[in-house]
Amino acid sequence: MEVIGKSVIRKEAQDKVTGQAQYTHDYHTSKKLSGRVVLSPYGHARILSIDTTDARKVPGVRAIITGEQLPLTGESMRDRPPLATDKVRYHGEAVAIVVADTPNQGDLAASLIQIQYEVLPVVHTPTQAFQQNSPLVHEHLGEYEREKDVYPVPGTNIAHHVKIRKGNMEKGWGESSVTVEGDYSFSPSDHAAMETRSSTAEITPDGTIKIITSSQAPFMVKQLIASYFDEDIGKIVVDTPLVGGAYGGKASVQLEILAYLSSRAVGGRAVEIFNEREQDMMMSPSHIGLDAKIKIGADHSGVIKAMEIQFLWDGGAYSDKAIDLTRAGAVDCTGPYKVDHVWCDSYCMYTNHTYAAPFRGFSHSELSFAVERTLDLLAKKLNMDPLELRERNAIQPGHTTPTRVLLNQSNVGNLQECISKLRTLIRWEEGPVREINERLVRVKGVSCSWKTSTIDSNAPSGVILTFNRDGSINLMSGVVEIGTGTKTVLAQILAEKLKMDVDKIHVRMTVDTQTTPEHWKTVASRGIYMAGRALLEAADDVIAQLKEIASIVLRAPIEDLEVAHMKVFTRDDPRISVDFKDICYGYQYPNGNSIGGQIIGRGNFILRHLSHLDPETGEGNPGPEWTVAAYGVEVEFDRRDLTYRLIKAASVIDIGIVLNEKAALGQVMGAMSMGLSFAGRETFYYDEFGRVLNPQLRTYRPIRYGENPEYLVDFVYTPDLQAAYGARGVGEHGLLGMPSALGNALSLAANVSLHHLPLTPELIWKTKAGNV
Amino acid sequence: MLPFSFEYERPKSFQEAVTRFQQADQSGKEPMYISGATEFLTLGRINQVYTEAAIDVKGIPEGKVIQFDQGYLVLGANLTLTELEEANVFPLLTSTSKQIADHTARGKITLGGNICGQIFYREAVLPLLLADSQMVMVGPEGVKVKPINEIFYERLLLQKGEFLIQVATDTRYLHAPFISIKRRQQWDTGYPLITIAALKIDRKVRVAISGLCPFPFRSNEMEDALNNLEGSPQEKIQNALASIPSPILDDVEGSSEYRLFVLQNLLLDVYEALKFGERE
Repeated sequence: MEVIGKSVIRKEAQDKVTGQAQYTHDYHTSKKLSGRVVLSPYGHARILSIDTTDARKVPGVRAIITGEQLPLTGESMRDRPPLATDKVRYHGEAVAIVVADTPNQGDLAASLIQIQYEVLPVVHTPTQAFQQNSPLVHEHLGEYEREKDVYPVPGTNIAHHVKIRKGNMEKGWGESSVTVEGDYSFSPSDHAAMETRSSTAEITPDGTIKIITSSQAPFMVKQLIASYFDEDIGKIVVDTPLVGGAYGGKASVQLEILAYLSSRAVGGRAVEIFNEREQDMMMSPSHIGLDAKIKIGADHSGVIKAMEIQFLWDGGAYSDKAIDLTRAGAVDCTGPYKVDHVWCDSYCMYTNHTYAAPFRGFSHSELSFAVERTLDLLAKKLNMDPLELRERNAIQPGHTTPTRVLLNQSNVGNLQECISKLRTLIRWEEGPVREINERLVRVKGVSCSWKTSTIDSNAPSGVILTFNRDGSINLMSGVVEIGTGTKTVLAQILAEKLKMDVDKIHVRMTVDTQTTPEHWKTVASRGIYMAGRALLEAADDVIAQLKEIASIVLRAPIEDLEVAHMKVFTRDDPRISVDFKDICYGYQYPNGNSIGGQIIGRGNFILRHLSHLDPETGEGNPGPEWTVAAYGVEVEFDRRDLTYRLIKAASVIDIGIVLNEKAALGQVMGAMSMGLSFAGRETFYYDEFGRVLNPQLRTYRPIRYGENPEYLVDFVYTPDLQAAYGARGVGEHGLLGMPSALGNALSLAANVSLHHLPLTPELIWKTKAGNV
Repeated sequence: MLPFSFEYERPKSFQEAVTRFQQADQSGKEPMYISGATEFLTLGRINQVYTEAAIDVKGIPEGKVIQFDQGYLVLGANLTLTELEEANVFPLLTSTSKQIADHTARGKITLGGNICGQIFYREAVLPLLLADSQMVMVGPEGVKVKPINEIFYERLLLQKGEFLIQVATDTRYLHAPFISIKRRQQWDTGYPLITIAALKIDRKVRVAISGLCPFPFRSNEMEDALNNLEGSPQEKIQNALASIPSPILDDVEGSSEYRLFVLQNLLLDVYEALKFGERE
């Protein structure tokens, strides 16, 4: 192949490295007003009164919006007022918006809004939320409008419950001679994208609603605003420029609603809602937390017989995407292992935390921490090599998943080969522990993961191709360029397919929902998977049209024609040819007669055979394919101070095929870095009122360059027969095993079983002292 | 962006700076001296710092000196931490200050700003506490020179309208054996869980600590316990721990119990490096 697999430099690279790239907040209209949001100072409190009298007197204030009279919102269940009414349910929740000429005027007015609160008991953790006597976050849970496969339990804090019932537990435990179990927990954290979220909305006199937003889901913005506010969907146009990091956090629709309401309140003038860092961390949806219980039974040889799992997801104050996260966690609950008897209860719990957005990996790094730590407990109890235990139980074609999907050579990668390559990569033959001196020891931990993408079963992706007069091609896809280089890879796929120079393919970087064909959401490592297939169909469409007109011009049957190097030519004698440029806008004969016309290629893709899960057993087909991976992390641990350095981190991922080598390595290493950052340091800390204590990058510190280990990446190549060139999703997978591999390494190093994140030296110290 | 408006002045002499300050103060503008302005900008944007008159002293020549004078090293308070690190005339100060904030911020943060700022770690003061430095301040009453251990108690006790312009350190401290360690919640970024600086002179070890309490300090009682000739290093450390000031910080960086665990180990490291409480 000519272009596939090459490290083609990203098409937006030049703009990004020179600072020319434009993000949402960089677009300035001349008369943009500023919407400043008043945030809740408490985690849970009744709103007794809101007095805006003084605020309205501030010069430049155009409108003040509060929550009464607004419809409820929420993606799968409508439980969230856009602005809090009656009570606030999390620290940082939006309570009111001041629309003013300048941000400073808005801030001044916001500070003058008098709100009386009565503090309510706070639900701090999903475990507390699950208890019978817990305070309720939502008193009227039964009354919310919801999709039909959402199962809230009114009178409790359970927003959704997914059950997996596979096999026969009694039989499973009966066949088990060894059992291990563990409880795990960690608090919500943040995505910490470099670009904070922002949205600008304007309603023009003809009723067109124009929104510019930093989003992974511009088409969902359009759909939801139309639906929530009964607007005409065709009148809503959403523009998304380059997005400066998203990681799932920009798949939720929040600021767009606030910007729309603000513009509506000032007669349609353009209003921007821009998140300062603190607001981005507190008000906008966060990375989900989890309390988990895992029990595994195995026979003497280490063959897993049964798993019982309880996930209590910390969905926060509103269910929004946490409902889908709860389901995603359930469908892959066992990790990438053959388990015949599975019982899993995955609950989406309400707490008084910021509600959850997706986070790169969509529940999988979180569940892997719990499952893979327990697997290491099993290995220890069996006195077995932890990689051997994983290899023995590795999922394979012919096995079924927890939701009883029968796996084949195409829909699952080769985990055993991943494990085998990992052994070499991390020099596992040296053993997991190497003593440096009295204090220092180098220790390796391992883990595995799998992931399918549980996106909507009817999610679409479309591509349009048009020509320029020189025969070069414009590629339009609704995939948002969130920093992953997806649009460049799409250009590579097209260049490969048409056997042409990738520089002659011009990619539309920005998305506008009026003229760009829809791509459901840029999430779930499904950009290339879906848009790639749509693109191949569009390319076939273009080829057919080119050949059709060329066959007339060249007086040769279509079957005898080939396309390459921006020409159509006869297979046996390439000298008989016509250039794209002479046919892509119709062919003109010397006497002026013309035939054909503008060539426009179209292609679309929709995932097939996906189904809803059975509410009682979980049976169903949740996603198209499972990418599998194996991981290792090596640390240097100080046995006196209980501190550690990251030495090496390794991922071996069954990627199917590498489409762009540097881009793939970048995705995997970036994801690993994010996973180690989450595992090692990132978390929100809360006080007794549920207030976030560290909503700033001063005190919330993602990993920095220099703290990182050496990254080792290798791939396994088992093609997915459904995908473009066999490529599997790879945007998230480097992250999934990092928390668990680090947890396993440190548990071994410190000789203590670690069950919480982040894995700080203080956690290790407390665990050793029995104070967790 | 700062949410308030303010007048900005950049006087060329310290006399002019003081005059400007007094004028602004009389007009009720809550004046404030700034230099690197990192704290002014970052705390100002979240309303934790406010002024209507910012007097930027970084153009004052006396604040930029690095010179040796009559057995003293004189450092201008407006030197950035990066400039101090590059000149490296006081290795203990370099060693401590290069752990503050991050590379970008150290290009702006000044010695005086770090010592006089609101953020209470003020780690750059630790070496000065150990070296009995002289603090040179200017204000409405002119130039004032005071030994640090008389004028620094939790923070530099400046009078209204005063600011720190120079720090003078007896050169015999500059090359005394030392160790400086910063321990964070995790890895190499962030505020100190504890920063400890220690120096050995006249056969005695001195230690100064930031991050343990909501202020940096040097404690004679702790030093006496460490320098006691009796007992094992562990016993000396336990005795030193018995005389630490209160309160001990208990926050998102770490619990107070854990900080004590860390401090204990750091004192062992100081012992390894400098061997306190031993007969020569």
